[in-house]
Amino acid sequence: MVNVSDLGIKFKMEKRRRSRALAFLDRSRKQQWSPREFWALRHVSFTVERGETVGIIGRNGSGKSTLLRVIAGIYPPDEGRVSVDGEVSTLFSLGTGFNAELSGRDNIYLDGVMMGLTKMKIDGIIDAIIEFAELGDFIDMPVRTYSSGMRARLGFAIAIHSDKDIVLIDEIMGAGDAAFKQKADAEMSRIIGEKTVIIVSHVIPTIEKFASKAIWLDRGVIAAMGEPKGVIEQYLAASKVKKPPPDEE
Amino acid sequence: MIEQLKNIWQRRELLYYIVRFQMKAEKKNKVLGFVWSFLDPLLLFFTYMILVHYIFGRGGPQFPVLLFISLLSWRWFASSLSRSVTSITSKVGLIQSVRFPLAILPLSGIIIGFFDWLFGFVILVPMLFIFEASFTVNILWLPVLLLIQFVGTVGVCLISAVLGTYLSDLSNIIQFAIRICFYLSPIIWMVEERVPERLTTLYMLGNPFAGMLESYKNVMVRGVPPTEYVIVGTAVACVVFLVGLWYLSRNEYKLVKVI
Repeated sequence: MVNVSDLGIKFKMEKRRRSRALAFLDRSRKQQWSPREFWALRHVSFTVERGETVGIIGRNGSGKSTLLRVIAGIYPPDEGRVSVDGEVSTLFSLGTGFNAELSGRDNIYLDGVMMGLTKMKIDGIIDAIIEFAELGDFIDMPVRTYSSGMRARLGFAIAIHSDKDIVLIDEIMGAGDAAFKQKADAEMSRIIGEKTVIIVSHVIPTIEKFASKAIWLDRGVIAAMGEPKGVIEQYLAASKVKKPPPDEE
Repeated sequence: MIEQLKNIWQRRELLYYIVRFQMKAEKKNKVLGFVWSFLDPLLLFFTYMILVHYIFGRGGPQFPVLLFISLLSWRWFASSLSRSVTSITSKVGLIQSVRFPLAILPLSGIIIGFFDWLFGFVILVPMLFIFEASFTVNILWLPVLLLIQFVGTVGVCLISAVLGTYLSDLSNIIQFAIRICFYLSPIIWMVEERVPERLTTLYMLGNPFAGMLESYKNVMVRGVPPTEYVIVGTAVACVVFLVGLWYLSRNEYKLVKVI
């Protein structure tokens, strides 16, 4: 379903963005301005089978979100290949696409269309989304009046109802209160096995509970991959050694 | 490049919703809301009427309607351009979450600008009657002129959207450039009054917008065909459009990484 082989993504470290804008003015300057490069991901290979749930763990800046973005087709690989068979539903830091001035209802349409759903499709699922997000009358209020939990719930509800083959989830379980968490967990359990899911999370229990495979990313390379329990143990063991504990977001 | 146009066409529903909701969000918090769509061009018009007509004592009997036509078209171009510079950098979160053709961002600004033009046109129609514009079959040129302007604006805005992402200074430069071009174009003054006759050809060739604006005035008020200089505008529009598409398609993936 998702096949990543020898993937490398490099970024250029620049203080300003100007270099490439002006590079065409003076070819010779290109060299001089050539910024330092760093590989956010390198030599990353793995496959995700249909219906599999993969958890990705790692410290901040280890390339987890970059990896999701590559799978979502936002960054093209600089090295290696990524092939994705099926439609991807993206869900990153929740509600980034939301327009704060618009109502929750309008944002459902906007977000849904962003993900590539048609208006007809959204018309069909909007009631389920509103009910699942437990927004009640707030659905017709501007999103700026929402609490962060409400935003997260709405974002989660849209993604989960979008009915795409591949669901990418970034740091979701931290959002919402205990009751919603339970509901989200239940919904996760339902789609697991049915959909292909890739979760990025700091919340180890989430990975432990849902993932059939875990990948530990460390500074852009795969440090360990396989059965979740073992990978998590290695990750935790490695985290302990570092003197200041990795600060969680 | 054809690939790119196809991609945009595929995501037209997204474009539609971005435009619709952007317009809705802009009007939502205002007491007068929708009324501003009509008030904005009117207030702009009155400002320049005071300046030109009362302070400088210039302009003939039909000047008000000619001014209004020029202001509408100019405003469409200028607002699209100033929106486009930051159109990509202001949507970082979105661009990093979903894959979609980046051209949609500047395009949505241009389409919103066109709706503003249409709202202004509603006011323009009675003005045409009041100032006794001559209606002829030449009014049929109007959609053609709008199309030319649209194509050219898309080109300019695609370029400025890409450049503006790399170079934040561009938004300062653009604001200034828009202002200068406003005064250099026949909006608050008349070509026949202010440009010496021997220089007219040179001027009309040098400023593609001049030909466009004069053509708008010709087909709507003077009842004659567009000036021959509209060819300059058309040529520039087509070239800029192709360059813009090419420039964006070359940079699209790089942009996603630098924002």
